[in-house]
Amino acid sequence: MRSNRQNVIGLLFASPWILGMAIFLFYPVISSLYFSFTSYSILKPPVWIGLSNYQELMQDEIFLKALSNTLIICAASVPLTTALAICLALLLNTKRKGISLYRTLFYIPSLVPTVALAVLWLWIFNGQYGLLNEGLSKFGIKAVPWLTDPSWAKATLIMISMWGCGNAMVIYLAGLQDVPQSLYEAGELDGASAWQKTKSITLPMISPVIQFNVIMGIIGSLQTFALPFVMFPGGQPARSTYVVAMYLYDNAFLYQRMGYASAMGWVLFLATMILSWVSLRLGDRHVHYGGGA
Amino acid sequence: MLSKQQKILLTKALQLGALLFLAFLFALPLVWMVVTSLKPLDETMTSPPKWIPDRIQVSNYSDAVTYGSKELGYIPFLRYAQNSVLLAILCITGSVISNSLVGYAFGCLDWKGKRWLFALTLATMMVPGPILIVPLYKLFRDFGWIGTFRPLWVPTFFGSAFNIFLLRQFFMAIPKELSEAAVLDGASPFGVFLKVIIPLAKPALTVVAVFTFLWSWNDFLGPLLYLTDQRNFTVSLGLQAFQNQHTGTPWNLLMAASLMVIAPVIVVYFVAQKAFVQGISTTGLK
Amino acid sequence: MNNALPAVLCVLLGIACACGLESSQVSVSKTDRIEVQYWEKWTGEEMEAMKRIVDKFNASQSEIHVKYLSVSGIADKTLLATSGGTPPDIAGLWGDQVVQFVDLNALTDLSDLAKDAGVVEENYIPAYWSICSAYGRLYALPTSPGSGALYVNRQLVPPQYASPETFPRTISEFNKFAEQTDRRDPSGKLLVASFMPRDGWGLWNMPYVFGDGFLQDGQINVNGKDDLEAWTWVKSFTDRYGVTETKSFRSGFGNYSSPQNPFLSGKLATYADGPWFSNYIRMFKPSMDWFAVPFPYPDNHPELAGFSTMNLNTLVIPKGAKHAREAFRFLAFVQEQKNMEQLCMDQQCNSPLSNSSQKFLTSHPNKAIALFDKLAKSSRAVPPVPLGIRAQIGSEVGNAVDQMELGELTPQAALDQAQSRLVAMWAKYQQQVLGK
Repeated sequence: MRSNRQNVIGLLFASPWILGMAIFLFYPVISSLYFSFTSYSILKPPVWIGLSNYQELMQDEIFLKALSNTLIICAASVPLTTALAICLALLLNTKRKGISLYRTLFYIPSLVPTVALAVLWLWIFNGQYGLLNEGLSKFGIKAVPWLTDPSWAKATLIMISMWGCGNAMVIYLAGLQDVPQSLYEAGELDGASAWQKTKSITLPMISPVIQFNVIMGIIGSLQTFALPFVMFPGGQPARSTYVVAMYLYDNAFLYQRMGYASAMGWVLFLATMILSWVSLRLGDRHVHYGGGA
Repeated sequence: MLSKQQKILLTKALQLGALLFLAFLFALPLVWMVVTSLKPLDETMTSPPKWIPDRIQVSNYSDAVTYGSKELGYIPFLRYAQNSVLLAILCITGSVISNSLVGYAFGCLDWKGKRWLFALTLATMMVPGPILIVPLYKLFRDFGWIGTFRPLWVPTFFGSAFNIFLLRQFFMAIPKELSEAAVLDGASPFGVFLKVIIPLAKPALTVVAVFTFLWSWNDFLGPLLYLTDQRNFTVSLGLQAFQNQHTGTPWNLLMAASLMVIAPVIVVYFVAQKAFVQGISTTGLK
Repeated sequence: MNNALPAVLCVLLGIACACGLESSQVSVSKTDRIEVQYWEKWTGEEMEAMKRIVDKFNASQSEIHVKYLSVSGIADKTLLATSGGTPPDIAGLWGDQVVQFVDLNALTDLSDLAKDAGVVEENYIPAYWSICSAYGRLYALPTSPGSGALYVNRQLVPPQYASPETFPRTISEFNKFAEQTDRRDPSGKLLVASFMPRDGWGLWNMPYVFGDGFLQDGQINVNGKDDLEAWTWVKSFTDRYGVTETKSFRSGFGNYSSPQNPFLSGKLATYADGPWFSNYIRMFKPSMDWFAVPFPYPDNHPELAGFSTMNLNTLVIPKGAKHAREAFRFLAFVQEQKNMEQLCMDQQCNSPLSNSSQKFLTSHPNKAIALFDKLAKSSRAVPPVPLGIRAQIGSEVGNAVDQMELGELTPQAALDQAQSRLVAMWAKYQQQVLGK
């Protein structure tokens, strides 16, 4: 049973955030929810139109295309990035000469401003002289039109997202420090191989962190904006890289349809909720909290 | 069959190989930026790629720092850097204090409404930012904060969903017995927080500090929307000066400036990463 | 409590930074003049060019001080600030957004101010003046403009075409030229393409080469005869090169502002662009021998000759600006021929004024400036579609052409689809933004 005292203490510790939500989030979130039921162009007062925006969205081919692009990118990039980040964190969690340098190196792509980075990617993925195709040609693979073919363009975005796994990697690295050394020693006594130890000790022990990163990955990839926006203006070719956040931005600030954009934002919100919930449910069976909560 | 010795050696070699290969891939952006920043403009962006410039032009760095200073009457880069540093320190302070308190409430304490409030916290992250821009702008206008730095740092003192979630996950992994023991010794909840949780969570707190630094240092949209005087600009806004509409992009200067902008972050990260991995194992509690 | 000390230090440091920020924050300059806030999209060299005009204005009188702010995302920021009631006094908006901002009731009507100051239509090239006006009123004034022509790399074209005088004038002549100019290696791989009708500036307006373009009698019409003819012609290049070969060839195009620009790297023999492009040639490929010509016109339709895409940077005074009258004095100052020509020359553009000084035409960094000036004055000069859904038109048509080139849809089907979407969007816009 919780006592009153416990409740007060809990609320007291949580109070900065409760206040913060009340001051900085409550009004904007409620407003945008309201806007989603209106026709609103920022400079003119919103006019209530009920569910029209949502109905229109369900029939809007451009939105549906953007949504499916976004979901495809999310479905591919979240597992790939998660796997890569865990592998990197495991590799970097060893005592090795110059390990600090490695750790820094892998993080750098997450630091570079998107504009500078996008230019680099365009240059690396250039179909004729790009570094990537040059490398592939050494293995006898024919030049791939990374940027001008609809399917390859999407694949390019997914591949690039993997370079940004630095944030997740850092979190895993910090999480790995919480795995008690004694467990590994016990494992070694049982004659477990490195892979067995990883599978049955490390991964379960860092599962809360994996869960965190997967959810953040879902949120992040569903809201992807800057990279496709800079690399593939207008979602070219043939809107194959047009993602929901881009269409949302266009509607909000270019087409002056803030109400419609808000509705789109809330549909994206719902999609994020559902995907996160599913991944939480799938993960819950495997997640292990040391604190026993 | 391989002996155990050989097996370990083979694993080590494989690990090193993978590490080197991945390091090569991840180092590319940086190497490319450094090379470009040292080239004369007409040698940038060439293909097939040219890794070693014919002429090395170190003056790009000084040119990038003073870019536009003649017309503005001051050296913009230094001014922007000063603003960014002050903002970053302030954001880190606010973020570490507020998020650790709130993370503790969610991760270690038991109270009514916790689950519900936590779900709400997660949900706030899922609302796409662009649809909040307009009402948020009006809010800050009503506070009279447009044209000041306040919209950029005051909110950090109230916590952020991402960091709260992150710290909660870490705090939950701390064995309950430790805090229970402290309570038996007569510690108050705040005492437990300060004496048990904080020392154990140093890696996680460092992560929060580094992420906050990064976020504040690279934040582009916030300064763009809320600042109205060029002298108040931050470095991330300053980088836009190198993209021209009609007169072409000086790639070498853009890369030199970008490198100078990310250099402090790299240094901070390099120093801080030792703390990530120090962790509980070295404090000898487990 | 060994943790208290760092915590206290941390808080103190925070307070110190807060104080430092608050004190270093610049909000009002110390001046007894009226301060006019001017937000402009330009950065770098373009900013410097405008800053010189601003400084000149500030020195020319003693009542007004114009404060220049470089803002990327100028339209979004101006819109937000105007909606928040804190707009700048002057904003440097893109010309193609003027109509939409007027529809949103965001801009001050400048008609009367302009009349009083002697800023009149007769002084301007008609296409540029039209970009500044909407519904018969004036809402903006020009700064640096652009007009499109065709750049030709002399070394890559057969000798009989290698001068402005002998370059093809009609579409069928151009087709013949194109076939003679394409170069392939023995395996059929493209080495040089004569022209890529989608790579270059202003080519989204291709239907205007063949007729009325995106509008017919003021109504949206992107699937008419001229549109079909235009995009079929565009597609004929892809068909000739082959879809796969086009994809692979275009995937080798580098950044616009780099030596890997397809024209600068010698992959394209001709390239449509504005007057500023000569500057890129000078920067990245100074050895190139080039000339510029007007775009070809359809056979037997000399009345359609002189196609050129127009764009314009403008100055506007948002509604709610505190010092509209003072702001307009600066706008009028920029319009003086001497100042305007200095700005346009520094920004490598042509001039929006109907009269250009001899000095402007002879000392301009683009040797073909006279052609760009002439094309801007042509009756076939195409300003941006004067509708609030111009951006959607561009996006829908672009997507339709992508789809027909990739073979996903026939040209007619792709254009019909774009047309029906645009008609629906326009109806929505009229209903929701214009309140009709």
